Parts: sequence; C-alpha cells; structure tokens
Amino acid sequence: MESDSLFVSSSGDSDRAHRREFLKRLAVLAGSSALLAELPWWTPLRAAPVGDSPADRVRIGLVGVGTRGNLLIAHLLRTPGVEIAALCDDYEPHLQIGLARVKGAKGFADYRKMLDMPGLDGVVIATPLYLHARMCLDAFSAGKHVYCEKSLAYTIEECQAVADAYRGSKQVFQIGHQRLFSPLILRALELVRNGEIGQITQIRAYWHRHGDWRNPVPDPSLERRLNWRLYRAYSCGLMTELASHHIQVANWFLGAHPVACAGYGSINYWKDGRELYDNVNVVYRYADGTQVIYDSLISNRLYGEEIQIMGPKGTIEAVTGKIYAENPPPAPGIVQLINGIEHGFFNTVPIGGPSWVPDLKKDTEGTLLMKEKLADDGTAIALAAFANAIRLREPIPGMMEQACRAGVSVLMGQASMEQQKEIAWPEGFRV
Amino acid sequence: MEQTVPPYPLSRTKVFHRSCLAMNTRFSMVLVGIEPERAEALALDAECDLRAYERMMSRFDVESPVSDLNRRAAETAIQPPEGLWEVLSMCRDYWKRTQGAFDITLWPLNHLWREHSGRGEQPTAEAIEQARLQTGFERLHFDELAHTVRFESKGMSIDLGGFGKGFAIERLAGSLRAQGVEQAFLSFGESSITVLGSHPHGPAWPVGIANMFQPADTVHTFHLQNASLSSSGTAPFNRMQGPQVFGQIIDPHSGRPLEGYRTISVVSPSGIEAEVLSTSLLVTPERERAALLSGFSTVSAIEIVYHENAGKFVPRIEWEYGI
Repeated sequence: MESDSLFVSSSGDSDRAHRREFLKRLAVLAGSSALLAELPWWTPLRAAPVGDSPADRVRIGLVGVGTRGNLLIAHLLRTPGVEIAALCDDYEPHLQIGLARVKGAKGFADYRKMLDMPGLDGVVIATPLYLHARMCLDAFSAGKHVYCEKSLAYTIEECQAVADAYRGSKQVFQIGHQRLFSPLILRALELVRNGEIGQITQIRAYWHRHGDWRNPVPDPSLERRLNWRLYRAYSCGLMTELASHHIQVANWFLGAHPVACAGYGSINYWKDGRELYDNVNVVYRYADGTQVIYDSLISNRLYGEEIQIMGPKGTIEAVTGKIYAENPPPAPGIVQLINGIEHGFFNTVPIGGPSWVPDLKKDTEGTLLMKEKLADDGTAIALAAFANAIRLREPIPGMMEQACRAGVSVLMGQASMEQQKEIAWPEGFRV
Repeated sequence: MEQTVPPYPLSRTKVFHRSCLAMNTRFSMVLVGIEPERAEALALDAECDLRAYERMMSRFDVESPVSDLNRRAAETAIQPPEGLWEVLSMCRDYWKRTQGAFDITLWPLNHLWREHSGRGEQPTAEAIEQARLQTGFERLHFDELAHTVRFESKGMSIDLGGFGKGFAIERLAGSLRAQGVEQAFLSFGESSITVLGSHPHGPAWPVGIANMFQPADTVHTFHLQNASLSSSGTAPFNRMQGPQVFGQIIDPHSGRPLEGYRTISVVSPSGIEAEVLSTSLLVTPERERAALLSGFSTVSAIEIVYHENAGKFVPRIEWEYGI
C-alpha cells in the first residue's frame, strides 16, 4: 500500500507562509498525478501559489457569518492572495463578530448591496439552505464568481435553476463539498481505482452525534433565524446539512447519481418543537445495482461518522482512513511458488522457517491510508483552488455536476421520508 | 537456486490460491489442476474447518473450551468436548514419547519471560521457580473413565498454539485427499507445510528453508512428497513485540528460553509429528536426539545455527538426521 502517492505525504498547516509552502508542493504533485485526470477540479491547484502583491490578490465578499462562515473566514485569512473585502449578515451581532476579525472589510446587511460593491471578484455563500439558490443566481447575474456552501439548494427545481443559469458561464462556481479536496478521500479513491478492494459492491455511511443541534437564542423571536436547521421552511435538516457530504462522496466514487431512493425518518427523541427529523435512514439505488445505505441521528454518538466503501477484496473506511483486506496477501514464497507452477518451472522456493506472525495492526486492524492525520478536511485546499481559479479566470470543471448530484440526492431522500414512498431521480434533470 | 525447464511444452497450469488469517498466523492453500469453482468450494470448506479447530483450541478466544479449562481446571475437574479430550490425550502421548521435551503446559514460563523481555529485563530466580511450579505436564491429571482433566496447581495454563497448527494441517490434508485432491501445497505461517503428491513439473515439491536474516536465500532444500515439514526456532524478529530479547522457546528442563538464533526443521509423513518433533528437538541435547527419533516413523531433520560474524548472522547446518 506504500506509494509515492500525491496524497500520502501532504500535511496541514497553520499560517499563510506554511500554507504557501504546502500549496507549492501540492502544485508540483497536482501536475504529475495520473489520478488527476479524474479530478478536473484540482486543475487550478497546478498554478504556482502567489505572493502578497496587490496584482495577485482576489477580493472576496462572504455572506453568512455564522458558525460555518466563521470557519471559512479563518481559512480565507490564511489563503495566499486572498483579501476578504466584504462581509454580509442580516443578523447584526454576527456581522460585528466577523468585522472584528477581518480588518478593513466592509459590512453589509443586504447581500444585494454587497454584490454592487465595486472591485469584488467573488462571493462565498454560507447562509441557510433556503437562501442558496437565490444568492447564487443573483451573484451570477452580478458577474461574480461563487463559492456556495453545501447543499446546493432547497428544492430540486432550484438546483435545476442554478445549473441552468450557470451553464456555459465563464465564471467560477464551486460547491462547499470540501471532501472533493480532501487528501484522505483522494487517497481512498486512488486505492479504489487501483483495484485494491475490487468492484464497489456497497457503500455504507453514517453520521451519529449526540446533542440537540441547537444554537443559543438570546430572544425567542430569533429562534427560527438562528436555529434554521431545525425548521422545514429553511432546511432539510440532517439530509442537507450532514448527509450531503457523504452522499456526495458516494456519488463521486460510484461515478453516478442514484436512480431512486427510499427511507424513513422521524423525531423520536428531541421533541422540542422542531420540525425536522432527529434520525434519518435512506437507501439509495444505483443503475449498476449498487446500493448506498445512509443513516444519521443526533441521540447517540458511539459510532460517530464513517463512510465504508466495500468490495470483494477489501473495505475502506474513508473517515478513519483505513483499508482492510478481505484476505491477507500470501507470503512472498507462496507467490513465487504459484508463479513457478503457472509458468512451468520446477524450482526451490525459500519458504520454510519459524512461524509468520501477523502484524496485527496491519493485517487485522486495517492499514492506515495516510501516515499522518491531517488537520484539514479539504476546506483549506478547496478555498485555495477557488482563489486560484478566479485568478486564472478559468471555471472549475466538474463542480456543478458534483453539486447537483449530491444536492438532488439528499432532497430525494428527504422527499422519500416525508412522502413515505420511493422517489426516483428527476427525469430530465440537466447539469 | 536450481531451475529446470520442463521437458513438455509450456502451457499455463491451472493454480488456485487462497490465504486467510487463522490461529494467529496466515494459512495458505495452493491447489493444482482443479476447476476454479470446485477449488473455491474446497477452500471454503477448509476455512470453515480451520475456524472450528481454532474455536476449539485457541487460548485467546474466551469462549473456547481451552479457555474454559484454563479458567476453571485448577478448582474442579473439567470434562472438555470430545474433540479436545482427544487432542489432550495425543499431547500426553507425545509428552511421554519425547521424554517431556514436548509440553503444552509451559505458558506461565513463556508469559513470564515475554513480559520481562518487553521491559528489557530478566525475571528473578524466585519468579522463575514460582512459574515452574505452575508448569509441567505431570501436573495435568487425566481421568480416563470420566474423560475429565484437572490442573494440579493454580495458575496452570495450556497452550495448543503449535500443536494446533500441526493438527489442523494434518486434518485438512486428510480431508482434501479424501475428496480426491492429488496435488496441493498447504502452509501455516510458513512454519508448518504439508504437501499432497508432487509439484506439477517435477518429482516432488522442493521447499527451501529460508535464511532468517536473508529470506530470499535458501539454506537447505527438502524435496517433499505426501509429507509435512515443520520448522521451529528462535526468531530474530517478532514484529508484534519489537526486537526479541530472550527468544520465545522455553526449555522445559531449565525453565529458561533458548539463546541464540537457531531453527530445527523436520520432515515427517505426519503433520502433527513434524510439529511435535521440531519443537522437541530444539530443546533436546544433540546426543539424545537420535534416541528420541527412534520412537517415531521415518523422519529427516536438520538444525541450522546462525553464527554472528562481523556483524552479520551466517547460517550453518550443525546437525542432520535421515538426510
């Protein structure tokens, strides 16, 4: 399993200088990996990282300064050649927190005003789900490059509208499925494509947490605004806010979208007035006969989060970052023996000796996909790719397709649970 | 390495291979000239049988009858399942026939030395004496009528690790033979090998004893035909526990592990006897070995000792029998 893979030795980083070094190494590797033919969105990363001169700088406006927005700010502040020129939130306390962190940024309460700001290259959208499509469409109209947090949109129709508006565009569009840029997930993909687990016969993914999934609310009138993930008018809860990540990976590894799905969900524990399920279970069916089994709940955390990619030769756990072989490889002597028999040789094979003892960690507890655990889940690289693409004025290939596949899949899952019936992939959906 | 080209035209011979983890090592099975579907079925059967032997004999499986014995047999006489009774009776027989060199009760001593070697120190003389009181097959009492077993003292513990492999491989070979398989190569962690018939391109299966320090080199070649080969020795590396400090073979007469690096390899028509003899010979002084072997069916054996020379370990065959 050892290799000079692009994805084995890259490491995380904490400040801008480190990140520039890291991106420089990544650029060299990104130009040389055979796997990258399958990862067109890595193309912008082949560009050498830039310096801090004003000519290199891309000016970003970020809308939605909540939890996710703040994390994106932290990354953007460290991304070489990025200036956060504007921040927008219609909830004043959040906007103020953001402005305090980003010196010199202009504050807005209305994102349309921010889009009118001169000299703004791109926008990062980190707002509640129901606002994504509207904001993407307005940003496209305003000629801005767009980084939109997952999931793509609130309805399938909106997903189609965003894809339609973007088709043929010269602008950069990127979706916040950062696993597309996660070295760990890419290493897993590399092993799958190398045939290490054989054909993918099933993917099982789950995300279990224990908590009410609430934000503190200073005044009851703010409940729906601050806890939008719990209410149907703003979100599809666990499906769009968590499952979309895993379903995106499943679609990507299978190279397809599901043809149908069926699932059940309910509120069986957090009966506190919320409208969205606190546990969801959906099975997705793919055209080639593969099934993806997904479940998520927020009343038990024992099993945490995992994506298990299974095949006749092995299993990859893409979150833990391990691969397990179904059968151990034979001893080198046995391989020689088989070769000899097959090719008609009668030769002595050095094989006998004191008993072979399994390297327990490797042979029964799996092999690590990467030697070091990365701090970054792909978000840092994803934002660097966004900045590079803007600078190069080149759209990032494949992004809208990934966004639509995942975005539509999770909405199908939500619809299936709500309508208690199988939901088919929308016929005629076009990226 | 000799390599002869066969006198007949080259055509790819059908080979089936399967490896799986069992009995704390890797079992490999190579079948020749058998249709893939049938080979697959035979491999499944073999794996199933292996699991059953492992469940019966493993001391690491808390639910195995061996674990049950180790937990309770010092307090009360235990009646093990018939299969295990049979195995224990065989072990008693071999203990007698090897004048105590083969002994499945050495675990407390083994454990003591392993624990200390992990910390890089030697156990005290008192600790060794204490552990010796918990070892020795003579302290294992059999009731022939009731088919029960009892430990004489607390802390006793049996370990069927090596014997289990020999037992399993002999049974598997018998089962394959009964199903009409004529050519096969079975290996348990490369220390226990059993072959059926001969190599498809020659008169026997040529099996090299690898140099422990240069695994691609062969120190001696055995030509096996319907036979078993077992190797025991003090290994230079134990990957689970880092560099070996005190070896892992306990001499039942002294209660101490063997020193230096050496292996004994034994070829016998029986997988069980090859296993029993390779460990027994290792702890038997050279002058007593011929007497020990006279009580067994036709065997051949060699001892390889590794001598340190200018920082390298060089193997030398220091004893051989029936070659």
